[in-house]
Amino acid sequence: MTTLLESLTAVCGAERVSDKLVDRICYTRDCGPSPGGIPDYIVRPTSTEEVARVLKIARERQTPVFIWGRSTTFIGNGIRQGCILLALDMMNKIEKIDLDNKVVVVQPGAVWHAVDVELNKLGWELAVPGPGGMFSCTVGGSVAYNAVPHGLAGYGMTGDNVVGLEVVLPDGAVIHTGSGSNFAAGNQHFERYSNGPDLTGLFIGSCGTLGVITKVIFRIRRMPPAEAFAFYGFDTYPQAVDAAHAIQRQDAATHLVGLFGGPKPAGYEQYDGFLHVIVRDAHAAAQERLRVAQAVCESFGGHPLDSTATRRYWTEHMYSWLRNMPPDFYYGNRPFMCPEVAGFLPTEAVKDAIAYLRNDAIEHAEEFKRYDIRIKCYDVYFSRNAAFLWIDTLYPELDPEAWKYGLALRSRYTDELCRRYMSPGGILQAIAPEVMTKLGPTFELLKLLKRSLDPHYLLNPGVLYLQPEAEATPEVSHA
Amino acid sequence: MPDNESKPAQARHIDALRDIVYQCNRCAQCLDFSTIGQAVKCPAYRGRPFESYASRGKFTLARALVDGVLDYDADLAERIYSCTECRGCAQNCFKYLDTTAIFTAMKEDLAERDLIPAPYAEALEGEAGLDETHNVYRAPHAERLAWLADRRRVDRPAETAFFVGCSSAYARQNMAIDTANTLERLGVDWTILSDEWCCGHPYLAAGETEKARQSLEHTIAQYEKLGVKRVVFNCPGCLKTFKHDAPKVLGRRLSFEPVHILEEIAYLAEKGELTFKPVAPKITVTYHDSCTLGRWLGIYEAPRQVLRHIPGVALREMPRNRGNAYCCGAGGLIRYAYTDISDRAGVERLREAEDTGADVLLTSCPACLMQFQQTRNKLRSHIRVMDITELIWRQVDLPGGPE
Repeated sequence: MTTLLESLTAVCGAERVSDKLVDRICYTRDCGPSPGGIPDYIVRPTSTEEVARVLKIARERQTPVFIWGRSTTFIGNGIRQGCILLALDMMNKIEKIDLDNKVVVVQPGAVWHAVDVELNKLGWELAVPGPGGMFSCTVGGSVAYNAVPHGLAGYGMTGDNVVGLEVVLPDGAVIHTGSGSNFAAGNQHFERYSNGPDLTGLFIGSCGTLGVITKVIFRIRRMPPAEAFAFYGFDTYPQAVDAAHAIQRQDAATHLVGLFGGPKPAGYEQYDGFLHVIVRDAHAAAQERLRVAQAVCESFGGHPLDSTATRRYWTEHMYSWLRNMPPDFYYGNRPFMCPEVAGFLPTEAVKDAIAYLRNDAIEHAEEFKRYDIRIKCYDVYFSRNAAFLWIDTLYPELDPEAWKYGLALRSRYTDELCRRYMSPGGILQAIAPEVMTKLGPTFELLKLLKRSLDPHYLLNPGVLYLQPEAEATPEVSHA
Repeated sequence: MPDNESKPAQARHIDALRDIVYQCNRCAQCLDFSTIGQAVKCPAYRGRPFESYASRGKFTLARALVDGVLDYDADLAERIYSCTECRGCAQNCFKYLDTTAIFTAMKEDLAERDLIPAPYAEALEGEAGLDETHNVYRAPHAERLAWLADRRRVDRPAETAFFVGCSSAYARQNMAIDTANTLERLGVDWTILSDEWCCGHPYLAAGETEKARQSLEHTIAQYEKLGVKRVVFNCPGCLKTFKHDAPKVLGRRLSFEPVHILEEIAYLAEKGELTFKPVAPKITVTYHDSCTLGRWLGIYEAPRQVLRHIPGVALREMPRNRGNAYCCGAGGLIRYAYTDISDRAGVERLREAEDTGADVLLTSCPACLMQFQQTRNKLRSHIRVMDITELIWRQVDLPGGPE
């Protein structure tokens, strides 16, 4: 009988399969503080067919498979010891830029910003800006994780702009979604909501638990000719939230970012809340929308500030510029980890959430001091109709007690805010137990779907907490 | 299931860099030049595509070392020594980490454990190796100045010296001749050592820091004796060793200023003190930024300034240029042991140069020059390959220049 290594090598060739510890240990964890297990094998397919064959082998051998794009998330990829690690970053081709149908067809391992740059050369762009890791994250990973784009607001979520997918199911079957599912017509992808239920949506945010995305058909648009920026400081943060709400109602901003905690933008320490306004549109429309946004901010007591910081943030897509500081500002030269907590909430609830977080920091001030915990931000991307809050706290990585406290605080914040109103955009192993168990009958349906598609729980097991609880906790061998 | 999962760790050079190792937040910006499109930064990662060959992976390995869950072995040595030292990974590092400092520490540890890959060790310590001949071409030391016809400048006191370097001295002597002639025509009072040793870069690339120190000390002592205040290089690798590494290795500042010949020429051209004859017929060139001259030493504009002053030369940039330039594949010591990685990078970069439609691919580093010449021949490419000093020497408009 052939060994698993031999079977995998027969699919991908010896040069794209490794069982060496020195290779395997590099595929254990994401950017966050949660530890991961060391896979047994790293496999790097270059085609959908190879992915399908690997999944069939895994099924025959009853071996778990974890999917790897670039693993630039912050909330634990849940990789377990003993798995096959399916690294998709060699499947990185832009297969087609289809200006007629206003879509781009890319393989999942294509780097988000690299795709955007290729489109920019033609005067086009992806329909949403990339997520925080846009310079290195993959398109497939961003869709699977339901990553939140920079600035949010008018362009919507990443998933809103997926027209179709090619997916390999856990049994190795290859399916297409949307108009692409019309096999008889040659799998043409041009409309998502067609040929029955929206299966595209099923895989967005499923984090690879239901299938492996092997192709993404994504909306593109012409780059707008004008960009305009404004930056406002407010004496109290509720004023800033009210202003954001009014801007949302009038569609006055393309992107809208609020700062409500953490270091204040350099030179503006006297203010309590801040709004960055970015407008992208035709020249006249951009100026008109900016004027409306400025009028709104001023009507809520906003003080106009130098918008160079806004422009730099938008140009470089580095969060630190939101606070008018260069990218090394947050971390300095010390090893810090950042267990992120993030999710959507109604715009009005931002006021309550910020109050809760600020009070919590006061109540636990002694512990924060003891563990040298720093609040990096309580920031908000306002969407078209709601708000995406993210809470970043920094912990000294080399202090095991601080590290433990940080993970516990992440759980506490996630639990508390989800009980009140929060719904995370992307969910992974580290927060899945806190989030999924609050979904009631929906959680049961998701578990049923998982069981139907992946009865042996072999694909990204534990990542969304969808299997029986006893099997959902990953073994950890490398902190 | 593979065995040998973990071994105990010992005190090592890498342990002293623990705080830096932990600073990598695994953002993966070291993997791609995504600001110019879908383009992997690291030649080793491109050639042997597991993350263990790329910077993020090497930081993970370094972390596993300091955490005591991994120890040095031949597999790890291959990942570390296959680095071309192009420093592409440090470009755009979110945390501005000195990635190569980590790799150097691991090389020092590997060297102390006799884990230098055999072809490297042979080049350094074998018969006619660097230890014996003080050059990496296994050529007799006595022939280091064989290219120099006029010996009047050898070992004479002067404020300016020309450090030839092994590649110019033995493998691309035209570069040595062109540089010497250019200095002569510029009216520089210069000197050259009869007993110049290798700059020591190959030792540093292998992790043999003490031998690098000895090599540097040997040459520097002679410059000090001759009263040299400025040393001119045509090899970015040698310049980097003196300018960047020597102060750290020796623990003191140098008594002279190391400069690249291009900086001198660009300065004079910008001041209007140096003019060039037109190139006829006109040519289109593309310029490959040597990783060492560019990312290590920050010299991007000098060659472009010079080209702007040469009539009849049009520069057409490759998509990956300046800080985003892709490595030619000849850095570090990888041509000794990992030719597949090196060849792949050379082909990719030469194809990129061809795609510009340029007649000539210019570079400013002997290692890049040799790599592109070999790649061009292998591919039977139409594009000509030339060191920029050759073009300068051909076109410089001064009495005594070539017709």
